[in-house]
Amino acid sequence: MKRIITYLLPALLAFSSCRKDNNDSVFPGTTDERINKTLSEYQTALEGAQFGWNARLTTAAGSIYNFHFSFNNANRVLMFGDIDTLTASERKESSYRLKALQQPALIFDTYSYLHILADPDGSVNGGTPGEGLNSDFEFSLDSLAADSIKLTGRFKGSKLVLKRSTQQDLQTWQNGQWKNVLLFEDLSARILNYFKRLHYGATQYEIQVNKTERTVTFTWRDGAGTAHQHTTGYVVNNTGIQLTNPLVNGASTINSFSNFSWNAGASAFTMNVNGATPSTIAGAIAPVVLDVQAPSRWWNFVAQQDSYWATLNGFHVNGVDDAFKLHDISNFMFLVFWPRFGDAGGGLIYDLAGWVYNSGGTASIEFGAAFEPPTFTNGKVIFSWLGTLGDVPPEAEDPYVNTAIQWSDPLGYYLVQTSPTTYDMVSARDAKAWITWEY
Amino acid sequence: MHMKHINILTFLLLCCALAACRRDEKLDDVNDIPGLGGDTWAPGPIDIWIKDSLTTPLNVAVKYKWDQGELDYTHTLVPPKEEKIIPVLSTIRRAWLKPYEAEAGELFVKRYVPKFFVLVGSASYNTDGTITLGTAEGGRKIVLYVLNDFRTKSMAGYVPTDSFGVKQMFHTIEHEFGHILHQNAMYPDEYKRISVGMYTSNWNNVSDADARADGFVTAYAMSAPDEDFVEMIAMMLVEGKQGFDNLVNSITQPGPGGTTPGQAKARLRQKEAIVVKYFAEAWKINFYSLQTRTRTAIDALTR
Repeated sequence: MKRIITYLLPALLAFSSCRKDNNDSVFPGTTDERINKTLSEYQTALEGAQFGWNARLTTAAGSIYNFHFSFNNANRVLMFGDIDTLTASERKESSYRLKALQQPALIFDTYSYLHILADPDGSVNGGTPGEGLNSDFEFSLDSLAADSIKLTGRFKGSKLVLKRSTQQDLQTWQNGQWKNVLLFEDLSARILNYFKRLHYGATQYEIQVNKTERTVTFTWRDGAGTAHQHTTGYVVNNTGIQLTNPLVNGASTINSFSNFSWNAGASAFTMNVNGATPSTIAGAIAPVVLDVQAPSRWWNFVAQQDSYWATLNGFHVNGVDDAFKLHDISNFMFLVFWPRFGDAGGGLIYDLAGWVYNSGGTASIEFGAAFEPPTFTNGKVIFSWLGTLGDVPPEAEDPYVNTAIQWSDPLGYYLVQTSPTTYDMVSARDAKAWITWEY
Repeated sequence: MHMKHINILTFLLLCCALAACRRDEKLDDVNDIPGLGGDTWAPGPIDIWIKDSLTTPLNVAVKYKWDQGELDYTHTLVPPKEEKIIPVLSTIRRAWLKPYEAEAGELFVKRYVPKFFVLVGSASYNTDGTITLGTAEGGRKIVLYVLNDFRTKSMAGYVPTDSFGVKQMFHTIEHEFGHILHQNAMYPDEYKRISVGMYTSNWNNVSDADARADGFVTAYAMSAPDEDFVEMIAMMLVEGKQGFDNLVNSITQPGPGGTTPGQAKARLRQKEAIVVKYFAEAWKINFYSLQTRTRTAIDALTR
């Protein structure tokens, strides 16, 4: 027995190691042949689409964007994207190439609209510095079908699906349909009031669009007067806006907005809800649901810890950021609101709107406007002017005076809490002036 | 005995088995490996400009199309905008290569310039909140970041703060080129003795102002004598003679390392003298003349 095994083992070894067929691959052709074949199939498909490709990108953060790509045979790609009204209307050329990485890959290898989402510079896309909006421009090619290509981002893992375009698809970009839909994200450029209301059926919905995250928040009161809030993602398409989670208010539901136009006479957007019902979005001077406690909550939050709220730009007025041109002052850094800053004498503890300068590398309050302890009434806060602390340099005179006048508006301000540590302070007079406070 | 025979037989059989398996292994077709010899694409105007202006005359290659393999896998980065590439490269030629060529000759430039530039559109964001504007490896490869924000005064939208980016880019290049120079011809040992005992790995917690008060031109110069030497070169060239003099004269406070303002100034002046002497003796370059040319070229870009 032992002997048999002794002979059998080498014999087996001999036979098994002697397989003579050279091709150890279960696939036809060599690796390189197959890679080249795959790459050339993708290349043929990409450049072969006469009217280019409709692309839908889902970033790793879950936001959805649409693009249109037209690839040629010389590593160039023409692009539209629904990021903003410019990218949706001006076709831009950049570079691409196919490359055999670990998988066959499609790389958009110079800056294009696609890169805006991936850019780590937060000032480009509103994303986190160093991360951007978690998107990609280097994709592995997952699958190729007759008229669609599926890709996965190699760095962040976003998903891209290409579908062969028709001539009509391309025309929706060229004739400005996409640009028109993106008016929805630019409500603030036309409606100068902080509060914007959708009038649909008998209900008024306050609407806030966050275009960085592609979400929209609705706030309303139902028939019984109960307040509701609904936040949902949305997807842009060539006719309108589709909500990912429809809004349900009793018997009425909101799924989509389409057919936008700006009515300058009425200062309102007209559009259709759910593709049928004409409705409008217009400015309003007060919130639909007033957060009555917000002003005192805002004030106490910093007063209790002897700290301050800060704003980089001061007042936004009538659609203009930094309306009083604070940043034209050399070495100006930011503006703070510091409750209970000091004693004016006689036990009067004043609040200070302090102007912070960069003085030799450190931030310091150089001067400020002092206000009496504020009045909290009907969900508003009213500041009354007390005096000027310190010396206002001539260069800062106009910004300082304008800011102080706006601040002391006797009609006061609403406070809108936008996150645990941010508030917007909105003028109760016309909701066209506000300050964004950050802690 | 019998057992032994069997063992020998087995061994022989095995030998046969293995020997029988020698065959002429045919390699795959090596003629068509995708990407062999580097990426290729249809050359455009930028490729032609780079070839004519840098690759052919100076043997310098520039990679501006995205290649993750050249970069750090842990950072989110984007490729540069096409419209920024030629402006950046032509300013590099004007403010770095031309001054050296004028002072040291064409052969010097051809022989010693870093041979490979990689361009990146965004900054490289570090976890400590700082950003990296440039890196260099092995005297051969230089990575330049933030090209998408690069603006000289002749470009639309220029604001004075953009000059920081321009100067920083040249600082990086001059710094790395300084390393190449001293790796080819070492600077005198006496340089290392000027600030002996004050070099520290803790340099990143020291402000530039404090470093200067201790006789270093920047905080990074405190990291090692080699860095000190090339930081001196970079600062003197980019800031110009006047800028460097102002920097030295601005030292009025004693340093955290216990250096008096007088000592700090003297040390910076000693270092300056050695740099100038080194350029003259090792490279036959008049440093002050090089400094004037470089600074003039940078001035023309920033104001």
